Amino acid sequence: MATTATITLASADIAGDPVNVSKTATCTKAGTTTDLDQTIGLNRVHLRSTTNKTLLAANAEGNDLAAKVYIVNKATDPSLYVTITINAQTVGKLYAGDWMFIPWSQTDTSASIEVAATNWSSSTGDVPIEYALFHEDTDYLTNA
Amino acid sequence: MATTTANISLSSDISDSTISVANESTLYTAGTTTGLNTMTSVTKVLASTNNVDLITTGSVSTTHAYVYINNPSTDHTEYFHIHIGNNVGSGTYDDGTLPTEEIGRLYGGDWMFIPWDVDDDITIKPSVSTDMTVEYQVFS
Repeated sequence: MATTATITLASADIAGDPVNVSKTATCTKAGTTTDLDQTIGLNRVHLRSTTNKTLLAANAEGNDLAAKVYIVNKATDPSLYVTITINAQTVGKLYAGDWMFIPWSQTDTSASIEVAATNWSSSTGDVPIEYALFHEDTDYLTNA
Repeated sequence: MATTTANISLSSDISDSTISVANESTLYTAGTTTGLNTMTSVTKVLASTNNVDLITTGSVSTTHAYVYINNPSTDHTEYFHIHIGNNVGSGTYDDGTLPTEEIGRLYGGDWMFIPWDVDDDITIKPSVSTDMTVEYQVFS
C-alpha cells in the first residue's frame, strides 16, 4: 500500500553545467516507515472565484500526523494563476501548468488550504485545477 | 533564457484503483513563457532546534520563484518544520504568536516543491539539535 512521489528538476542551461536532481519519497505516517493508508483520490475543480475558496479543510486531529498535498493548475493560458493560501498566509502562485507538492501540517483548524483564481474574469474562462491528498488519521471523516 | 523543467510522478495503490499522475512544468517568469534564469543550490547543516531563516526574500530579486526543499536523512523520526512568514526572535513556537504559518513537516526522505511569491521568508525548525542536513534549490 505504497504511495511514492518522484520529482525531477532538469535544466541544460540555467548553470554552466547541466542540472539534474531526482528524488523519490515514499509517503509514510509521521515518524515511521509505515505507508500512508488514506486518500481522497485525484479531484478536479474549475475555479471562477477571485476570492479564497477552501480546497482542503484543516482538521485539528491532523496535527502531528502526516499528510501530503498535490495541486496542479491545468489552465493553458500562461497568464492565469491560482493563489495558494494557508491560514491567510500566501504561499505562492501556481501559473498554468505549474504544480506543487507539500507536506501539510494541520496545526489548527485555521490551517485550511485555500485557492483563488485571482486574475479570473468572465472572459478568461475557468481555471481548472486538480488535487490530491494522501494522509493518515483514522477518524478523518467523523471529526468535523 | 534558460529552460528548466520540473517533473512529478505520483503513484499510489492505497485505493482499489491505482492513482497515477505525471506532470511536467516548465518554469517561467510570472505570467509569461520566458524561462527563469537564476538558480541557487544550497546544503546546510543545522545544529539547534531554533526556528531560523532558510530562504529570505532578500535573496531573490523577483516576485515569483520555485522552491525545492529536501530532507536527505534516512531517519524517519527526525523532521523539519517548514514555515512561511517572517522569523522573529520572541514568542513560543507554534503558539500562534509568531507571524509564520507552518506549511508542513518534512520527515527524513521527504521533499517538497512550491511556487513562492517572495513576500515572506521561508523558515525552518529542526526537530532535534543534533546535526540535521537540509538541501534546497531556488529557481527565479
